[in-house]
This record gives sequence, C-alpha cells and structure tokens, in this order.
Amino acid sequence: MSKFTDQEYLVVYADDDPDDLELLTESFRQFASHLRVEIFRDGVSALSYLLNLSALEPVPCLIILDINMPRLDGKECLKKIRDADRLQDVPVVLFTTSISDRDKEFAARHNAGFITKPLSSSQMEIITHELIGHCADDVRKIISR
Amino acid sequence: MTLETFLTLTEDEQLALLTENGIYIGKRTDRLLPSILYQLDSFYVEIVYRKYRRYIWVINCSNSTAILDPYLDQVESVIQVN
Repeated sequence: MSKFTDQEYLVVYADDDPDDLELLTESFRQFASHLRVEIFRDGVSALSYLLNLSALEPVPCLIILDINMPRLDGKECLKKIRDADRLQDVPVVLFTTSISDRDKEFAARHNAGFITKPLSSSQMEIITHELIGHCADDVRKIISR
Repeated sequence: MTLETFLTLTEDEQLALLTENGIYIGKRTDRLLPSILYQLDSFYVEIVYRKYRRYIWVINCSNSTAILDPYLDQVESVIQVN
C-alpha cells in the first residue's frame, strides 16, 4: 500500500467484484493528479484500514462501499464507520446493484449516498461525477480542476 | 411493462429502466464476455458486454426461465469448487 502524500486526496473503495473495482478505478483515473483510490475486496479490510489511519493521515474524502461483500457487508461497514469519531462525517456512498427501497433508506439513515451501478459507459460517466459530487465542496473543486 | 413493450424502447431507454427497476440476478463470463442478468417485471434481460459495464455487445430478452440456467450453473460450479 502506497504512502499517502498531502498533494492528493484519498478515496477508499471496497467491492468483492474485481471487474467493478477495475471499472471504478479506471473511471477515477481522470482525477489521478489529485485523487488516489485505495481498493479493498471486503468490508473487514476496508474498515481495518480506515480505523488504523494514523492521526497524521487525513481521512478519505470519499468512501465507496458495495453492499454485498464477504466477511462484512457494505451496510455493516457503514454502521461501523459512523460509530468511529473520526469517520462520522466522511462522505460515504453505497455503490450497488440493489434498487431496494430498504437499502436506500438505510443509506439515508446513516447519512450516506446511494448509487446504483451503471450499465453503460455513458451511465458510468454520469455516476463518476455523482460520486465526486459527494465530496466536500472544496475537495470537489480541486479534484475537478 | 411487458417484454413486447420493452423491445420497442431504445437501448438508452431500456438501460435507464433496468437501472431504475431491474432486479439484479447475477453475473457470468462466457468466452471472455461478461454478462449480467436482470429481472424486470415478468421477463428477464441479459446484457452481454464487450467491456464490462461499458460497451454492450448484445442485449438478450426472454420470458423463459431457461435464461437463468447458465447463471445457476455458474453458482453451482462455484459451490463445488469451495
């Protein structure tokens, strides 16, 4: 895992599907001068990484979680993220194949976004900007430059 | 929505409808082409990609549950491996 530098913002993305991991990291490559994406294959590893960030390391500008993941699913991971003082206000998005109202309500209850995975490149382009739209204003302005 | 009506829509309209209302059933890869299967009301829609979730090769639609078989076979083979 590469060391975080203060020139870039960090996005944490957890998904057990390697194709989805590749899809999103590829889409975020356009922001590579300001954004680094750390990927994880399950909720446990993502959570462990997040909870072990040192006080000197900035928290991510965005956390993206698939819902259906082994070991710890995205919803449980989100609950634990919201329980952590330092991560309480970090933007989180559930990025999923689900269209369930219960999942959408869960995300809203935990102050998280909910985005359904795309089916085409044009949808992916829109979704990439929707994801970035969840970052704080100042971060978003810098990333989108 | 019936299969017949769905077939009259443009590809963008079909995809938008699936994103909003389609129930994700599963994913598989056949001869390096990934595909995902959705249920929409009483029929199924399979999207076969040249590049996953980006470039579509073909969209197959069916009222028959036979379209589920290769997805179920894949689940069974994963269970057997594990």
